[in-house]
Amino acid sequence: MRAAAAAAPPWASLPRGGIAFLFPLALLALWSVSARLGWLPPQILPAPSEVGSALWDLAVTGELASNTGISLLRVVEGFAAGSALGLLLGIAMGLSRTTEDYVKPLFTAFAQVPTLGWIPFLMLLVGIGEPLKVLVIAKAAFVPVALNTFAGIRAVPPIYAEVGALFRFSRWQLLQKVVLPAAVPPIFTGLRYGLTHAWNALVAVELLASAEGLGYLLVWGRQMFWLDTMMGAMIVIGIVGFALDRIMAAAEQRLQRWRLA
Amino acid sequence: MARQGELRVEDVSKRFRVNGSDLLVLDSVDLSVAPGEFLTIVGASGCGKSTLLRLIAGLDTDFRGGIALDGKRVTEPGLERGLVFQEPRLFPWLTVAQNVALGLLNAGLSKAAKRRAVLDHIALIGLSAFQDAYPHQLSGGMAQRVAIARGLVNRPGVLLLDEPFGALDALTRARLQDELQRIWAAERITMLLVTHDVEEAVYLGDRVVVMAPRPGRIAASFDVAQSWPRDRTSASLAGVRSSVMTALEATIAAQVFDTPRAAPRPMAAARDFATADGRV
Repeated sequence: MRAAAAAAPPWASLPRGGIAFLFPLALLALWSVSARLGWLPPQILPAPSEVGSALWDLAVTGELASNTGISLLRVVEGFAAGSALGLLLGIAMGLSRTTEDYVKPLFTAFAQVPTLGWIPFLMLLVGIGEPLKVLVIAKAAFVPVALNTFAGIRAVPPIYAEVGALFRFSRWQLLQKVVLPAAVPPIFTGLRYGLTHAWNALVAVELLASAEGLGYLLVWGRQMFWLDTMMGAMIVIGIVGFALDRIMAAAEQRLQRWRLA
Repeated sequence: MARQGELRVEDVSKRFRVNGSDLLVLDSVDLSVAPGEFLTIVGASGCGKSTLLRLIAGLDTDFRGGIALDGKRVTEPGLERGLVFQEPRLFPWLTVAQNVALGLLNAGLSKAAKRRAVLDHIALIGLSAFQDAYPHQLSGGMAQRVAIARGLVNRPGVLLLDEPFGALDALTRARLQDELQRIWAAERITMLLVTHDVEEAVYLGDRVVVMAPRPGRIAASFDVAQSWPRDRTSASLAGVRSSVMTALEATIAAQVFDTPRAAPRPMAAARDFATADGRV
């Protein structure tokens, strides 16, 4: 903690990770009070304890783990495919103006159609099975990764390339030793956006067309009027998304030790 | 690599295209640097001295005339010609040792030989304790020393230095000048340093060449006979300094009348201006 903590509130002395819990806890308290005092009917806003016990039930029956596992697997598959393609396209457009001229307009138009807008078309194309989910998630990850990679490579200072030329770097050496390392920060911004978008798209596609997964749990809870289950699913979706983002942030920090060291 | 380090610049002219029109930036420059010589070029900004270094380094190959190092024509960058820029241009994601090692990427040495060369050159600049530090942990002077080590690590025949100390404070600059001189004395590498600082040019150079601007050309050349170690305050250095300064001021004087309210100017200077500025 900084030295200037003299006038700070008492909880400011918590570690930074601890401060992050302040708002969720306050919200939970408000929620409990509201449920206790009956501000909203329990059919609409069940008490935290009921959501907790619904989650517990899902956990002990193994449903929670299996649904989360299925969702995670879909997101990993879709994100891997989409971000790999996005990286390749972003690098290709970043390195070559010709490629940019050929591909960028179509790409931009493609990116303008929201991920959800692709679902009806893709359903006709591949049905509503696993390929649909993976394709939708891949598309969601692909766009931000490609865009940020492209912009990141274009932003590499030309003076770095000149140093490479001085030491007779080949194109491959230049890419590997100079361009990609210099573009790591924006590329990672793209990957983090991509993963967040992928997770959002997953839940959306599971809402629309799935018989398993966290999104399905959510829509199923609503249809059955098991609002405790529905809210439990929302909480798990939020927590998993948060965890995925933290994992990316940790990877990013590791790759950029030179900034902090 | 035969590293004699004899540099010849013969009748080199260079034009830039600025907004569709031609601008002559170097006008038949002739220069020859003997093996092991320390030559400094001093000139006002815009006299093309940095452009000349870039041509010699091979970063820009679009010029007329010939440049050769030890008889080999310059057509592209080469490891036998090192260049230190005004700013260190270290890669921030690499440590000091990794930055220096990058210079050896295409040197064709064994891993062990590379490692030894890197450590030797970091020791040469006195930064062995910082070999694992990242550039942002270094002061400006330290970073520029690393850049010098990177420029030297290939054992080039000639080291080109483009205002390497221009961005440093006076004290650091003086210390790095001494350090560069020490390195040159130890390694006997041909050095070609470009600067706008007359004191620096005279203190470091065996020979000082004065360049005139618009178009860039060589105006005068002075030998600095004094042996090392030199005393910055000595009378003979002061004498050379004032001669160089006079020559330099003469090159600038021809340029100074660019304000519209200046007194009527000599015809030659007026014509100079029309070609330089009129087309921009």
